[in-house]
Amino acid sequence: MPKLQIPVESTTLGNGLRVVVSPDRAAPFVTVGVYYQIGFRLEPRGRSGFAHLFEHMMFQGSENAGKMVHIRLINSSGGMLNGTTHYDLTNYFEAVPSNALERVLWLEADRMRALKVDDENLRNQRDVVKEEVRVNVLNQPYGGFPWLDLPPVAFRNWPNAHNFYGDFADLDAATLDDVQHFFKTYYAPNNAVLLILGDVDPGEGFSFAKRYFEDIPAGPLPPAVDASEPPPNEERRAEVEEKFGTLPALAIGYHAPARNTPDWRAAALLDRALHGGRAGRVYRSLVSERQIAVDTEGGLNYPVGDLFDYQGPALLVSRIFYRPEYSPDAAIAAYDEVIGEIREKGMDPGELEQVKVKFQADYYSMLESGMGAYMPRFGLMHYLACFTLFDNEPRRINTTLDGFLAVTPDEVQAAAQKYLVPRNRAVLVRRPSVSGGAQ
Amino acid sequence: MTATPLPRSRLSAPPALGPERPVAWPRRTVHTLGNGLQVVLAELRSFPKISAELFFRSGNAAAADRAPGLADMTATVVRTGTVSRPSNRIEQDLRRMGAELGTSAGADTSAISVSGVAEFSAGLLELMGDLARNAVFPAEEFERERRQRLEELRIERKTPGFLANERLRRVLFGAHPYAIIAPTESQVEALRRENLVEFYREHYVPSNALLVMVGDFSSERILEQAEQVFGSWKAGPRPEAVAPQPPEIHGRRVHLVHLPGTVQTEVLLGNRAITRLHPDWKRLSLANSIYGGAFNSRLVSNIREQKGYTYSPRSGANSLRQQGYFSVHAAVRNDVVAATLTEIFYELDRMRSLPVGEEELADARNYMSGVFSLSVATQDGLLGQLSNVFLNQLPEDYLEKYRDGIRSLTAADVLAAARKYFDSANAQIVIVGDQEQIAEQAALFGPVESYNAS
Repeated sequence: MPKLQIPVESTTLGNGLRVVVSPDRAAPFVTVGVYYQIGFRLEPRGRSGFAHLFEHMMFQGSENAGKMVHIRLINSSGGMLNGTTHYDLTNYFEAVPSNALERVLWLEADRMRALKVDDENLRNQRDVVKEEVRVNVLNQPYGGFPWLDLPPVAFRNWPNAHNFYGDFADLDAATLDDVQHFFKTYYAPNNAVLLILGDVDPGEGFSFAKRYFEDIPAGPLPPAVDASEPPPNEERRAEVEEKFGTLPALAIGYHAPARNTPDWRAAALLDRALHGGRAGRVYRSLVSERQIAVDTEGGLNYPVGDLFDYQGPALLVSRIFYRPEYSPDAAIAAYDEVIGEIREKGMDPGELEQVKVKFQADYYSMLESGMGAYMPRFGLMHYLACFTLFDNEPRRINTTLDGFLAVTPDEVQAAAQKYLVPRNRAVLVRRPSVSGGAQ
Repeated sequence: MTATPLPRSRLSAPPALGPERPVAWPRRTVHTLGNGLQVVLAELRSFPKISAELFFRSGNAAAADRAPGLADMTATVVRTGTVSRPSNRIEQDLRRMGAELGTSAGADTSAISVSGVAEFSAGLLELMGDLARNAVFPAEEFERERRQRLEELRIERKTPGFLANERLRRVLFGAHPYAIIAPTESQVEALRRENLVEFYREHYVPSNALLVMVGDFSSERILEQAEQVFGSWKAGPRPEAVAPQPPEIHGRRVHLVHLPGTVQTEVLLGNRAITRLHPDWKRLSLANSIYGGAFNSRLVSNIREQKGYTYSPRSGANSLRQQGYFSVHAAVRNDVVAATLTEIFYELDRMRSLPVGEEELADARNYMSGVFSLSVATQDGLLGQLSNVFLNQLPEDYLEKYRDGIRSLTAADVLAAARKYFDSANAQIVIVGDQEQIAEQAALFGPVESYNAS
């Protein structure tokens, strides 16, 4: 496969804002992102859900763009926008026709400079977030499974283990002062990266960045959060009730090797061998052959992220919906046979080669759109941001594949033996209510 | 770097839009093979990958009289084995070529889609051809997929969004096949492998097919490969189906689906409207965008940003091949069901009564035009738009002319579309939730019919 040569230019403004430009003039669109290095892992103790609630507040009004103005200006320029909260980052992004580039930058700069919100806005968005939690978690079969209910079992340190969407009591307790304090603490330009992709000349992109962002004052960097985990020494298990769904389900999370280590790259390929579609070992064995399970999926940092978009401790997760006539122990035992086999025999070179081709293809797909079909270069923006915030090396976008493609069968097996062991994992069973559904 | 410009960041008004650059349309090739298979290719070379989809113009509606969900089950099992490739081999071939395969059926189409690395495009076409022509529907794979389908159905019928859609479609379409979005468990149990084989023989034929492919390739090469893979496929008659008319609907009614234990209520209402072949389609699309189709719409501003009743309210103009419908959706907290419906109808009636202002109109036209352009900027997005054109037999320059069509619409167009297609007096209201908490609120909006979730 051809080697990637995506153009990447980067600079840092006087106030510490990092700027990355990746031009491609073929189509008249730009994709713009502002990524802040704050996510739900890093939110203050006793304020569960605050990073996400705050993300909503960033759409409620800034110094010169009042409530709904931001949204109206983007939509009426022919563009779309959104924001999302992750473990270690929060992003705001727009895709617009390139004649709206300056307007987008003006808006992003305006809300990086000053948030202008009131109690009414906060009450409103607290209500909206509660309905978001209900529609995504509390009122859905398997809502939040396993991204909300596995971390508290697997992790011991609050930053990694609390309710990321927020306990309603914590959401209710949030005040406007908390909002402004959070903004001052985490939303300084020196804690962020600005990305401009697509129909833009790099020189022009940098000069626009200077024009709109450079006079926003830098702030003190946020206090460091200790998100480290004690080394796991025993398997942890838990069970939770499934209110609506009729199938029992299982989530298994192995503590993953630290980012950018050889073990991490080997674990990423192990993950694809286990979970890569229907050719993946877990699906093939549990669904196709033994027919114990109805569906299986998984991944590193699954299901709300992937192997590139986090910085702290993460899990390599398998999620299994299995047939009700099997006990949790029987399902786990069947899964363990799959894990045992890869631990004992590793992968043969043929399988590893296939997995690498698929890994590379998935990476290309992610870069091209990565968010449905409607946002060009979303994945390219996302990864450039991660490589800048976490590694200070946006050009890694063109080279990161090399390390994965160089992993050997021996390294894969060594990683399996080191990480895919019971004492390194947490197991969560989601068991339907006795009645087989809510009553 | 260019010279440092004057600091303008303190400007209190947003910069004006610069001049718009025209969209350069990717090179497109349209060709029909001797056996009737229509091939549409578009070169989009941003990344070294391709997306391709082989459609058959028959979906679940084509077999509704025989077996609801038959097209769906046929598409599910079609990927599990061919004359020369068992299931395992298919999946490994895909991985070897770095590809994803999807097989699915909707109301009007069945489809086999692949996306993968450009250098394997010949192999991927060959695999698609193998599935389309030589599938064997292994008995044990059929049985396994059927059991899985049963388990999925049990979960779907506990899912508020699914239940609301299922009920609305039943109410709007009555005896028409579009009334059914999923089979019952007993209908799935009654399916036989032979039903699938028969559907496959009848409908997976080249005269009924459309191949759309987008990505980094040379169209000449792909046409040659398509001829090799599909050229010898024997033409069959193009299947025809006649569907009964959907019912006449008079008066607003409430359809309450009781799902115990819910902590939120799913509200979905709608009325039959038009398909994208209708001359009013763009007018309706624009009216919908202003009403509730965009983040910056009246519905979202009202019940989300002002009142905080809901997270993601939306309205939509939905086009199936023979029929269309307009719908409004919101998942709301239980104590504001009546308040939400009041606002939904208030905003519908406002659209029906008063012309939109020039600024709001211009904003909405820009939004639709721009988002359309974005939707053709990715491989999968362009593939979807091209499929719409060729599956619906829209004019071949439909995409190129779409933005001008939207930009020419007036406030009078929007008002006329709202009056015709936002049929608030005859809207059918579906609510899914806990009966005890919502029945009284629901009854304020019309006669109530109640159903249990499963």
